[in-house]
Amino acid sequence: MNATHISISGPADELTASGMSPRRSTLQKLRRDKGAVISATLLAIIILAALLAPVLSPHDPYDNNLRNMLKPPVWAPGAVSDHLLGTDGLGRDILSRLLYGTRTTLTMGMIAVLAGGIIGAFLGLLAAYYKWLEGPIMRIVDILLSFPSILFGLAIAAVLGSGIFSITIALTVSAVPTIARITRGAAIVQMQMEYITASRAIGMSDARIIWFHLLPNSASTIFVYLTLQLGQTILLGAALSFIGLGAQPPTAELGTMASEGRNFLFFAPHVSTIPSLAILVIVLCFNVLGDALRDVLDPRLRQ
Amino acid sequence: MLRHVTKRLFVSIPVLFGVLFIGFMLMQVVPTDPATVLAGPTASAADIEAIRESMGLNEPVIVQFGIYLGRVLQGDLGRSMISNSAVIDELANTVGPTIELMAASLIWAIPLGILFGTLAAVRRGKISDRIIMAASVAGVSMPIFWFGLMLIQYVGFKWQLLPFQGRAGPLWTLEGIRHIILPAITLGGVFIGPVARMTRTSLLEVLNSDFVRTARAKGVSERVIVLKHALRNSLIPVVTLVGLQIGFLLGGAVVTETMFAWPGVGRLAVGAIVSADYALSQGAILVLAVSFIAVNIIVDLLYAVLDPRLRTS
Repeated sequence: MNATHISISGPADELTASGMSPRRSTLQKLRRDKGAVISATLLAIIILAALLAPVLSPHDPYDNNLRNMLKPPVWAPGAVSDHLLGTDGLGRDILSRLLYGTRTTLTMGMIAVLAGGIIGAFLGLLAAYYKWLEGPIMRIVDILLSFPSILFGLAIAAVLGSGIFSITIALTVSAVPTIARITRGAAIVQMQMEYITASRAIGMSDARIIWFHLLPNSASTIFVYLTLQLGQTILLGAALSFIGLGAQPPTAELGTMASEGRNFLFFAPHVSTIPSLAILVIVLCFNVLGDALRDVLDPRLRQ
Repeated sequence: MLRHVTKRLFVSIPVLFGVLFIGFMLMQVVPTDPATVLAGPTASAADIEAIRESMGLNEPVIVQFGIYLGRVLQGDLGRSMISNSAVIDELANTVGPTIELMAASLIWAIPLGILFGTLAAVRRGKISDRIIMAASVAGVSMPIFWFGLMLIQYVGFKWQLLPFQGRAGPLWTLEGIRHIILPAITLGGVFIGPVARMTRTSLLEVLNSDFVRTARAKGVSERVIVLKHALRNSLIPVVTLVGLQIGFLLGGAVVTETMFAWPGVGRLAVGAIVSADYALSQGAILVLAVSFIAVNIIVDLLYAVLDPRLRTS
């Protein structure tokens, strides 16, 4: 889908008639979008809960108790008040595992998107600034982009073995091409502006122009796509964990938890439904927020 | 058109080469020495050395890559360390089911996606448009395994309507059909959203074009305008999207196959990786990558057929 929305945005688009600063006008427009507000709030709560997992968790997420296994959540008959979301196949508290699992899943996704974003943005800026680098960089990016991310996951897990580390690398690799392409697109628009020519004329070094002009002026576009990418990355990471290539048991990770629950699907569906729903909510929030940000920052698509 | 096709084929050669190189590298970095494995636990150091020599493992890496290429081109992908059968044979049995599953998913998901997208575009801004678009965002955000788990839990287990384990046979038998329904719904389900979205965007663009305005001015009914004039012209981006999303579909297929015990390449690859069967996992990844490249070429050809502008230029 990446190739279908080409983003063009820059400072010129953001100057509003009322003379507000670009950043403030963006925030104000975002505030009018109900979906964006709800998503941002939910995400803030989820991230906070994940950060505070050790404080909020009623139990140790790895503490198993076989006498207490597969207890249903509190709204179903047979629940124990001690475990709000019930317990899993080893009698571990699902709420605690959910908090810790969200932490693992979010960390994996964020590290991957950040690392992939930095590499991708770097490549994109180089491709936009140096004409002679554009061909080779973009060709590699196109090839990477054309391959399904799951193949990176499979290939890297085949070499390094399954685990959080391999999967994070795979997720990083899969984030690079999208961000590189988007960054190049945004930076090329900047390259045609006169202030770049002016900076060259006054003898600014390439590195300074890239760092102080190209990057800040492409940052808003990069940011939008990082948000959208985060949703996709989390989804992919959870899928890889689900098929057994990501986080390994007993690690609390949402995809792994959903996978573990498969064995009890018929009599205790909540064990895998709850972490799956958590993934859905997180990814949905990132997607809605990303879409809203794009609408605000990309005037071409705003109508 | 011929030029377009040859150009595409030429572009994919380096990509294919890169994929083969990565496949080769996969075998280089694995922690086991193939000669030691082949010689077995009782072999002496001299035996192992002899096997190394005969396998060309003492040659420089570039030469080894050449040997590897030669072997792959002859269909020799090594032997599975677990079943000891030829990797190519194991793979040959799984390609069919994967293609079957992907086709069975697309065949219902694409028309449904186009239908929803068209409805949304025609009722732009109305409540049905909003619902369809919201559902499509939710669909894109949904973990595919959750959708599958729900189907297994309700349709498969509670209501006992359809089987959810494995493949029962070819699709022309009733049991074969019954077994593919749930996996195909799972895999196709995640595809409707993107198709609907793309159709809507593309159709809205076409509905704003001059020829549609002319048709309206002539008094052509809205129905005919949408179905006959606009929809046909808006399908090219949808084909592009389907092409771009084949990789995404492949990823979904890996998960779906694992869940439903569907005997395809994806499940084989995952199983091989989990059990550290390097030859088999390398072979499976290679097949997945090569078939992916092949599908991309086919989609490109399809464009040329659909878009006359490409055919002539």
